[in-house]
Amino acid sequence: MTAAAVTSLDNLPIERFELDNGLRVVVQPDRSLPLVAVNLWYHVGSKDERPGRTGFAHLFEHMLFQGSAHVGTNDHFHYVQQAGGMANGSTWYDRTNYYETLPAQYLDLGLWLESDRMGWLLPAMTQEKLDTQREVVINERRQRVDNQPYGRALERLHELLYPADHPYHWPVIGYVADIEAATLDDVQAFFRTHYTPNNAVLTLAGDLTAGEARRRVEHWFGEVPRGVEPPPPAVAAPAVVEGERREVLPDDVHLPRVYIAYRAPRYGDAGWYAADVLATALASDKSSLLFEDLVYHRQIAQDVTAYVYPTELAATFLLIATARPGVDPHEVEEAVTAHVEAAAGGLDERRVARAHERVLHDYYLAVQKLDGRADLLSQFTTVFDRPERLFEEPERYRRVGSAEVAAYAAEHCRRDRRAVVTVVPRGASDRAEAEAAPAAGAGA
Amino acid sequence: MTVATRRDAPPPPGPLRPFRFPPFVRGRLTNGLTVLAAGSPRAPLVLLSLLFPAGAEQEAVADSGLASLTASLLDEGTSERDASQIAAAVADLGGRLGSGADWDVGQVQVELLSRHAEEGLPLLTELATRSTFPPEEIERQKRRRLAELMRRRSDPSFLADQRLLRAVYGDAPYGRTALGDEESLARLDRERVRGFFGACYGLAGAVLIAAGDLDPEAFLGRAEAVLGGLDAGTAPGLPAHSPPPPGRLRVEIVDRPRAAQTELRLGHAGIARDDPDYIPLMVANVLLGGKFTSRINLNLRERHGYTYGATSRFDARRGPGPFVVRAAVGTPVAGAAAREVLAEIRRLRDESVEPAELADTTAYVVGSFPYTLQTGSGLGDRLETLAAYGLPDDYYDRFPAAVEAVDRETVLAMARRHLRPDELVVVAVGPADELAPQLEGLGPLTVHAAPAAAEAEPARDPVL
Repeated sequence: MTAAAVTSLDNLPIERFELDNGLRVVVQPDRSLPLVAVNLWYHVGSKDERPGRTGFAHLFEHMLFQGSAHVGTNDHFHYVQQAGGMANGSTWYDRTNYYETLPAQYLDLGLWLESDRMGWLLPAMTQEKLDTQREVVINERRQRVDNQPYGRALERLHELLYPADHPYHWPVIGYVADIEAATLDDVQAFFRTHYTPNNAVLTLAGDLTAGEARRRVEHWFGEVPRGVEPPPPAVAAPAVVEGERREVLPDDVHLPRVYIAYRAPRYGDAGWYAADVLATALASDKSSLLFEDLVYHRQIAQDVTAYVYPTELAATFLLIATARPGVDPHEVEEAVTAHVEAAAGGLDERRVARAHERVLHDYYLAVQKLDGRADLLSQFTTVFDRPERLFEEPERYRRVGSAEVAAYAAEHCRRDRRAVVTVVPRGASDRAEAEAAPAAGAGA
Repeated sequence: MTVATRRDAPPPPGPLRPFRFPPFVRGRLTNGLTVLAAGSPRAPLVLLSLLFPAGAEQEAVADSGLASLTASLLDEGTSERDASQIAAAVADLGGRLGSGADWDVGQVQVELLSRHAEEGLPLLTELATRSTFPPEEIERQKRRRLAELMRRRSDPSFLADQRLLRAVYGDAPYGRTALGDEESLARLDRERVRGFFGACYGLAGAVLIAAGDLDPEAFLGRAEAVLGGLDAGTAPGLPAHSPPPPGRLRVEIVDRPRAAQTELRLGHAGIARDDPDYIPLMVANVLLGGKFTSRINLNLRERHGYTYGATSRFDARRGPGPFVVRAAVGTPVAGAAAREVLAEIRRLRDESVEPAELADTTAYVVGSFPYTLQTGSGLGDRLETLAAYGLPDDYYDRFPAAVEAVDRETVLAMARRHLRPDELVVVAVGPADELAPQLEGLGPLTVHAAPAAAEAEPARDPVL
């Protein structure tokens, strides 16, 4: 069983150019399947909102599927699906992305749709569309947050970890009252400020040539006018959280769950990669530290999760563990904390090596799909102005050894710089609240 | 340098770029084990999977959860290694290991970086043929499953699915969850697990699947060397399935007084995977509720704003699995949403679809097919479907033409044969006092209490 085929992912060339209007374009031809991925990142997310006006970037993403001057309401999905393609978008703290994966002969269709809503959105915007999508978004929030067991925990954790005026304080999906208050004027102003070619990155990957890509992008996007330079997000991140912030959240659940968040260096810093290697060593499979100890040996946890957000202003290092029936969540919290703090003394070299293998596996899982790869190329260009980081990421992880993880954990994984939210079954909360330290006043 | 850009209509497509399902090889080892292997060299990853006729359909009703428990124990101890050593070995190879059972099959699979591919097959073979099912691992798994059942009791989506299946299938196997319940899990012991393993995990009934960065012919040789000489045992028989007796349109409410939203389901029994209607019915369902621009989603989400998304699906298994429409809707509009779904189902039975709507649907199904084959695991999934349901090797070669052959008359015939609005069960999980007045009049209405809030559990068993 020899790996006979030449694996080409590592040497597929990347082309990039910029239009006169400031649109940055990345192209990676890959002719192994008759598909093309069209992926557009706007460098705007919930970080660009302000308190009292939250949820706007995400509501706006919904509005971008409601038609533009030459594309009817709902016709975006209609055109893409009748071509045999897939389309969607997503909103996060730092960015909003829109993407289509199409049979390659429909490249022009994808570019027409994306350029029309970049250049000709406002003439098609109506109050009625806004009202319908507001209802859809409120239902989305109910489904994902309010009617979801443990659904409020992450939101509360961020409110504690970041101060009230910090752009990561509020949830990406926003608060219902703010979503209800959004007006058509808000929509139009938001579009003019942030949805400009000079605030976007377009990536095309798949069955096309670089020359063809350039001609077609110039054809469809060339006449979209350059916009104003969008303002930077309102607040820079304070260096650390001061003091441990805790809260107990009663919910309609049967098993308590502990959420622990530390602040980590911003995405791209060497320390961020150390955090990611630590998260992988802690909770990625049955051999990882937390699973082995808490789930397998001691059987005090039902499941464990650890990950680090790739966010630009600061990163959140997140640990989640569900308690077994009858187990005090405080015991679970202490056990998780002990492993995180022990990492300050270094990690077993074999665990570091495993984490490297795991990260590489996950990386290939992401890049083997055209849409996944196109999204990464847009991300590396938006955040670092360097699509070639696609090839450089494995090396950035390889530079993280036991010493780097230890240094990261010692500096950042401290009790006095974290937030803890414990979700407990309603009725059982009295006891847990009595045991928890008083919640610090992070205004919500 | 550019010509004036015409934006007022969608640009026409360029010339069609043909797509063929990737070639794969089928082999048979000297002991009778079937092998399917396909190269998909887009990433340096290899997926290896052993599939057995060991799904939940093979377990006795009283032993509910046995198939799933047995599969989950395959990597928890072998004649050579204990659970921790197995987990460490997989991690050293950069692997992702999974074992589990659905209704139709039990399986163990591992995905590896291809530079470690050589070591994957002996590992998979060890897990699938030399598992020892240590008593302490069985108890450990049972405790974890009991806790999982408790966790799910607070999940409204799970409660809705379970209530629907129970109402549609009653005490028949598909009315249960394949995870088992508190009562059945208490019964399951090492004797039953070993008995199930002995009966269902012989290589004679198994299929070995490999997909990814590999040479299929070379893989066959490697498989013969590792597995070809092992005792294949015998293949178990497969149980017969029959559809449940027809019901009538009725409503079941699960009361969650504080719920912020209502989980809505409408469903009845559907078809088996080997039903000759499978492809045309799938096309009809995509049009009804299987894509973003489906009738049900456009109605509930885009026209009314009732929901973030609504879907319908035929879960075709070896037996007639369920047809289910799913949506999480605002509680004040739950009754209206249920009636809109009913109206859409009736409309598909009453009126011929417009040719353009059907053409859009078949183009979507055919055009998005290559998308699912970008990864070795996506290709492996297709090979597993061929193996699990005994489909012919050219099934996916002929798939696009079979989809395009579906015409308006066929859609109408499918809807009339397989959608039965007067037999639907409507399930709503949410505040009963708000839901009952809205749903009265659809049919007989039953209200169930949600599972009780968590009681303080007695101290857990000592760690073994």
